[in-house]
Amino acid sequence: MSKFKKGGKKGIPGVNTSALPDIIFMLLFFFMVATTMKEVDMQVDVKKPQATQAMAIEDKDNVDFIYIGRPYDAEEGTEPRIQLDDALAPDPTFVPIWKQQKAREGKKPFDIVTSLKVDKTVGMRIVSDVKEGLRTIDALKINYSADQLVAK
Amino acid sequence: MARREVGEINAGSMADIAFLLLIFFLVTTTMEVDAGIGRTLPLKRDQNSPPVEINERDVLDIMANKNDQLLVENRQLQIEDLEEVVRDFYLANLDSETNPDLPLYTTISRTQCLQKIAASKAALATNPKNDVANQELAKWTAKLAVCESIPNNSYREISNKAIIQLKNQANTSFGRYIDIQDILKKVVNDLRSEKAEEYGWGTYLELKETVEEDIETIERLRILVPERIVEAKIEK
Repeated sequence: MSKFKKGGKKGIPGVNTSALPDIIFMLLFFFMVATTMKEVDMQVDVKKPQATQAMAIEDKDNVDFIYIGRPYDAEEGTEPRIQLDDALAPDPTFVPIWKQQKAREGKKPFDIVTSLKVDKTVGMRIVSDVKEGLRTIDALKINYSADQLVAK
Repeated sequence: MARREVGEINAGSMADIAFLLLIFFLVTTTMEVDAGIGRTLPLKRDQNSPPVEINERDVLDIMANKNDQLLVENRQLQIEDLEEVVRDFYLANLDSETNPDLPLYTTISRTQCLQKIAASKAALATNPKNDVANQELAKWTAKLAVCESIPNNSYREISNKAIIQLKNQANTSFGRYIDIQDILKKVVNDLRSEKAEEYGWGTYLELKETVEEDIETIERLRILVPERIVEAKIEK
């Protein structure tokens, strides 16, 4: 009866973990591919509006972002402010200057879309001022950032 | 001499390294897609150029006040009803004049396009720097392309002065502004989709501006269903 019983230890064998690195690598590659790095540190609070007709921006290299919202830092006051790259602009007249500094070689201002990421509670005055500023340098293509809403 | 055997590389810490990288990417990841409503602002007009004459019937006036209430053509309106009003603005007089307060349609035919092209070419022959004639030529050539791509070689065109005028106040919220823009975009997208389907040009929203054949189709649809939005300056 004990013909098949081999001598030796009994018990549960250890779990083979040699495939673990492979699994982790797979996850790693997924996140590496899906990642878009944060462009800037947000200094203003932007809660984007929703829109059913919002379309994804495809050519992300040719887009400049302007953020408008109320500053997180209480010392900056409670009025809506414009954030250009990593700094708050004192007033909207800085927008065209900034936009011209960001000009890409061989491209006209018209070719570079300006994406306005604006908090939905902000008043239109500041948005209007920014748009007027962009018009003065012919940066006419803009994109109002909004979250895609699936139509009911 | 005994050959030294190459020892096995210990891969046990590989998982740890991969974990570290994984956690780094997990933390830095933002999955959100950048989406939005694209618009092209109007060119800054010369102060010297004369103001364009407009008819009352060609303008759809949309006003949003500081409490985000809407006033459309001097009547208060709920945002839910705006889509229907805008659609009506586009379509009311499409086949025949049924509403005297909304923009008229005219028929553009191939022969008319050819006549206009010939006329502007004649004007250019006498004065090659005639900007108006150049613009006319470009405009009618584009319209001719539309006529030639559809059955009957003619189409109905909304009055070229028909505009949608958007007025905001300083405290109108950006959220409400986007609601309005969204509805305007939806109506135009819907109408263009319907046209594209009618003529078998594919699905409008799937046309890409980076594909060459699609650009032509998009251009044609833009002529068939123009989108003219004028934004009034916010009064100080």
